[in-house]
Amino acid sequence: MGFSDPTSDEVTEEQLVKDLQAGRTGSFEQLANLYQKKIYALSFNLTRNATDSQDVTQDVLLTLFRKGHTFQGKSAFSSWVYRITVNASYMKLRSRKKEPNVSIEELLPSFNGSGFQQEKIQDWSENTESLLFDNETRGIIQKAVDSLPDKEKVVFILRDVEGLSTEKVSNILDLTIPAVKSRLHRARLFLRKKLANYFEEYKVPKENK
Amino acid sequence: MICCKECIELLHDYLEGELTPEINVSLEEHFADCPPCIAFVNTYKSASRLCKVTLQSNDIPDVVKNKLKEFVDKNKNI
Repeated sequence: MGFSDPTSDEVTEEQLVKDLQAGRTGSFEQLANLYQKKIYALSFNLTRNATDSQDVTQDVLLTLFRKGHTFQGKSAFSSWVYRITVNASYMKLRSRKKEPNVSIEELLPSFNGSGFQQEKIQDWSENTESLLFDNETRGIIQKAVDSLPDKEKVVFILRDVEGLSTEKVSNILDLTIPAVKSRLHRARLFLRKKLANYFEEYKVPKENK
Repeated sequence: MICCKECIELLHDYLEGELTPEINVSLEEHFADCPPCIAFVNTYKSASRLCKVTLQSNDIPDVVKNKLKEFVDKNKNI
């Protein structure tokens, strides 16, 4: 699509979707170019497997090509694409051996009877940015997200990684707004704790402890 | 005085700017006197940002890109 400004991209997308709804096949290739990176990235974050993500991307594109004319335009086209992608990724995950369920509760913060934090909280937030190019750190972060329970993971990826709004995520996953907020918050608490275990132990210089 | 537990429960809405002004002030008063909560807020935001930066860099590998192109070429006229 080149580096055209966002408004002209939107117009183009709107026209492509109209063509798709009207069953005009000329729009297929451009729609595929517009969406395949998003579909692949979301699927890869959910399945963490390149072959599965390729299959999912092909399945989703095929669904768009074959069923695009049934898209009614009640929600955004991108929401429809995301929803099909999430479902296709879950189909892949279902066919895999199930990992034991993680208990998110164990990693939520704990408080004393007066509601004050019980554990010592270290602030490692300023020591982490430079570590993002380190493969070990990236691996730890990926594993932390992978270990989220599915319900929280998909909300976290759509909201915080893809940057979609709470409303859009609620629409894609057919969840209420409070449910999206609550799952996102639980996911962030879980990830904070998982990463704290790592950064406090290995990366914060001893004198700061 | 609002406690740590209540502050952390409200953290999502606080960061989204969705709290009423009164509750917002209560949280900020608590944070002013509670270094552990400040550390908690900083690391809560940092964890989310680190995950975003790490997971956003999922480009399609070239080999997959080529396969997808073949796939689209084969199916685009169905």
